[in-house]
Amino acid sequence: MSNIELGLWSFPILLGMIFLRVPIGLAMLVVGVTGSWLVTGTWNPVLAQFKNLTQSTFASYSLSVVPLFLLMGQFASISGMSQSLFRAAATWVGHRKGGVAIATVGACAGFGAICGSSLATAATMGQVALPELKRYGYSGALSTGTLAAGGTLGILIPPSVILVIYAVLTEQNIAKLFMAAFIPGFLAMLGYIVAIAIYVRISPESAGNRERAAYPERFRALLDIWPVMLLFLLVIGGIYTGVFTPTEAAAIGAVGTGLVALLSGSLNFRSFGAAMLGTASSTAMLFLIVLGAAALNTFLALSQLPQFLSAFVTEQGFNPWLILFIVLLLYLLLGCVMDSLSMILLTIPIIYPVMTTLDFGLPPEDFAIWFGILVLVVVEVGLITPPVGMNLFVINGLSRDTPLLHTYRGVLPFVASDLVRVVILAAFPAVTLYALHLFY
Amino acid sequence: MDSSLPGRIVHALARLIAIAGGAVLLVVAVITVISIVGRAFIWAGLTSIRGDFELVEAGVGFAVFCFLPWAHLTRGHAVVTIFTDALPPRVNAVLVILSDLLMLIIAAFLTWRHFLGMLDKMQYGETTLLLRFPLWWSYAAGLPGAAIFVLVALYVLVRSVAATAAGQPPIPQQGAIH
Repeated sequence: MSNIELGLWSFPILLGMIFLRVPIGLAMLVVGVTGSWLVTGTWNPVLAQFKNLTQSTFASYSLSVVPLFLLMGQFASISGMSQSLFRAAATWVGHRKGGVAIATVGACAGFGAICGSSLATAATMGQVALPELKRYGYSGALSTGTLAAGGTLGILIPPSVILVIYAVLTEQNIAKLFMAAFIPGFLAMLGYIVAIAIYVRISPESAGNRERAAYPERFRALLDIWPVMLLFLLVIGGIYTGVFTPTEAAAIGAVGTGLVALLSGSLNFRSFGAAMLGTASSTAMLFLIVLGAAALNTFLALSQLPQFLSAFVTEQGFNPWLILFIVLLLYLLLGCVMDSLSMILLTIPIIYPVMTTLDFGLPPEDFAIWFGILVLVVVEVGLITPPVGMNLFVINGLSRDTPLLHTYRGVLPFVASDLVRVVILAAFPAVTLYALHLFY
Repeated sequence: MDSSLPGRIVHALARLIAIAGGAVLLVVAVITVISIVGRAFIWAGLTSIRGDFELVEAGVGFAVFCFLPWAHLTRGHAVVTIFTDALPPRVNAVLVILSDLLMLIIAAFLTWRHFLGMLDKMQYGETTLLLRFPLWWSYAAGLPGAAIFVLVALYVLVRSVAATAAGQPPIPQQGAIH
């Protein structure tokens, strides 16, 4: 078997293992290690590589931002900031039609600004917002749909763990990616608000009324969210302006959210331990996949499959936009069954080099950033696509009296809003790149 | 949770080292913040911490190794169960055992190679650029986590086999939280 064939065969084997519930990072490691052995015909290169690979992956400055952001998210979850965010949003827009659901989306966006992950945002905001939505007579379908969709704002609005990983994989600037994610994240929030507004007009019985809050109460609630504002300014502002490296910003975020949690009185011995263990689980999961991707990439590079595929696509002279459409569709489908990070680590090393050979009329760096944001957005749609999107399960698990089918129905308007946004972002790269060019 | 003596010991070890890793991660964050404050107040005679990024690398490396046992023990790794959910429990039990066996092999492989990597660094006497501490210290810091990871992988495999033999369903996945 030729090396290219080995490279090609590794994919069905890898996917087969993953679909037979082998942990994704483990499957990548196994295929990467055995693949390198088969291509080179000897164990020596693999054995030598793994004397340092684990250490250089785990003790890497560029990746150190990931556990720090995860720690920040853990502290943010217990800090009570989710409550104050929701209260602030609800006093301002809660009295409108569908207002409590709109407030939920706003609060999710706010929480996304201090938390880099979707499931954590969905779960944390779910605990706060679900009881309130129920109190004001919102249907289970609309409530769970809103929260599942709102949760995806956690990853779109910087900081975003997935964008960090994409930046490391494609050697792009994290600050620029975060900047580019800003407008799409904001559009996502607007799209969800529009979806809710339409939803409650078509189905008025699914939303109740909340009394209008007086202005003094509104401003008091707004004052309560100053820690969120301050942290966001420090962390994201620091990254944007280049005052801090991403790692430094994440360290400030972790210490800052930790302090807020401590001052709010919710940080005790027990919740501290839980935060540590939560950080441990998600960090280890991520780094096992990153290590697996490193092993897999070595094998793929040895097999020369990426070069072969790039050359093949160039030779055939396919329409770039058609390829982009197929790739995004693939991500959408994969996103329904696989978590977003594994998917990106699994596919970017192959797909990205191929995509860079296509001409979309953009400079290389602009293309890398635009494509990264597109992939991120599409992958996140997978998180809320019935029947398997993971956010749906997280939220449905929190809302015990809502049947899963209602959640499926409730999230559909949001999925539609997401798809519209994907089309806009894909058709008009300028939407993503505008903020970037404004500042850099 | 497994209430047998080995089960309790393995759980306690994994929890302890995970929390230790988390605490070091927090210390890394605090060191970084102190360094930033020092840098901001250079005019007032303060200074940033020399080689702070070397401490970050070493500390985060230690922490990630410490996190591996807990994630595996509590089934925290990302898996795709959508296709296997349709299969009978018996088949799933066998698949889980095979996965656990693979994890044990990889855990042992990683630990073995990491240990040899440490010996190499020791032999060549490599040091970090700024702080000049021997590089093998960082490698050595990863070893406790790696060793407990192997122990946990062995325990998890035995637990899965025992549960299957007793006809119990496998421990459900926590799934990915990120």
